[in-house]
Amino acid sequence: MTDPTKNGGVDEDLALAGELALRVLSPEDEAAARARESADPAFAAHVEAWNERLGGLADGIVSVEPSLWVWPRVEAGLTPPAAANDNTVVFWRRWAIGSTGLLAASLVAVVMLAVQPTPAPVAAPAPSPAVIRVATLTLQNGAAAMTLAYDANTGELYLAPTNEMAGDTRVPHLWLVMPEGGVQLVGAIDGSATSRHNLGQALSGPAGAARAVAVSMEAPGHTPSADKPDGPVVAEGAFQRL
Amino acid sequence: MSAILTRDELAQALGRAGEGDRAAFRRVYDATSAKLLGVTLRILADRQLAEDVLQDTYLTVWRKAGSFDASRASPITWLVTIARNRAIDRLRSGAVMRKSTPIDEAATVIADDAPSPAEALETVDDVRRLNDCLGQLDDRTGGAIRTAFIEGMTYDALAVRENVPLGTMKSWIRRGMMRLRVCLES
Repeated sequence: MTDPTKNGGVDEDLALAGELALRVLSPEDEAAARARESADPAFAAHVEAWNERLGGLADGIVSVEPSLWVWPRVEAGLTPPAAANDNTVVFWRRWAIGSTGLLAASLVAVVMLAVQPTPAPVAAPAPSPAVIRVATLTLQNGAAAMTLAYDANTGELYLAPTNEMAGDTRVPHLWLVMPEGGVQLVGAIDGSATSRHNLGQALSGPAGAARAVAVSMEAPGHTPSADKPDGPVVAEGAFQRL
Repeated sequence: MSAILTRDELAQALGRAGEGDRAAFRRVYDATSAKLLGVTLRILADRQLAEDVLQDTYLTVWRKAGSFDASRASPITWLVTIARNRAIDRLRSGAVMRKSTPIDEAATVIADDAPSPAEALETVDDVRRLNDCLGQLDDRTGGAIRTAFIEGMTYDALAVRENVPLGTMKSWIRRGMMRLRVCLES
């Protein structure tokens, strides 16, 4: 049996993963460990295991009923759920799951969708042809930050970030850039993994009309007003129709 | 209005929320929001901030519920991890000044075993085992790990509070956590 307190090797990784899960590291060390977590699945699994081990420490924390206003605000921020048996949604979901999250793979998927809007393996055809708008959002240095595809018929939005935003402790928020110049908040997005959303009726109109999309980085826990980002806009890309 | 759900029921509700089921997501919220506010409030020590973070936490839960894997994580631990990390991010964003609570007091709060609405969510055996293993560490080490978890404190802050060198605090916690792991997996 190995000495659990020895330094170096696997035990050093285990200890670092535990420190990251416990959040005791300095900001610099934590950023380095987060980068490691993003790049190294074995290390990420250690962190996850530590979260699981330590989670029971919350058991004794006294519960506090939230104010009544919290749920309505949560609910207002939800992207409306799509119809459960909508085959188009199933297709989007499979696409999202099947994607590696890499830009290239996403672009292949976008092209495949355009070529074959009603995929044969998925039961019944969609009620109307997909109207797909795509955008590649780039950073100021020209690096691609995210690929986005939007189906104006279903309101389904698919996001595939590259690893350019990974490790940033701020929370990326997606915005529609309207033809008249204003912006409209879509909501907070996951900057580290592919995700899908349904924009629903409230946003599907603006999303169909928007000329571009942009990403701002907001402080964790902060939700900006719907018409103006508070954090810096770090990426932008024009919509194109396929 | 906390609803009581078993661990399996919560895992199931979370899974359905991941498929876009709002009613299931509401059940998750009802069953866990008081617990998660307890977590964010202990870290932020300000109710409004803690509720802001709670709101953000559930939006994250809604987005990520599809990635929850009941075979790898306990649903309440998965939720607590998101809430805790969000609260710590907010705490360290520089906008928050929190009042300090001595480690002894934190230990007292954790030792309070008054029934909580969410307690059915925990796997009682796992929690008991964790507490047994923590109890095998010396008091300073066990207390430091609990405080780090409950209040979201860094090595630096813990060392200052306990008036020990940074290296000493690191050594306590690192060794303590490795012993904890061995104990939990024995």
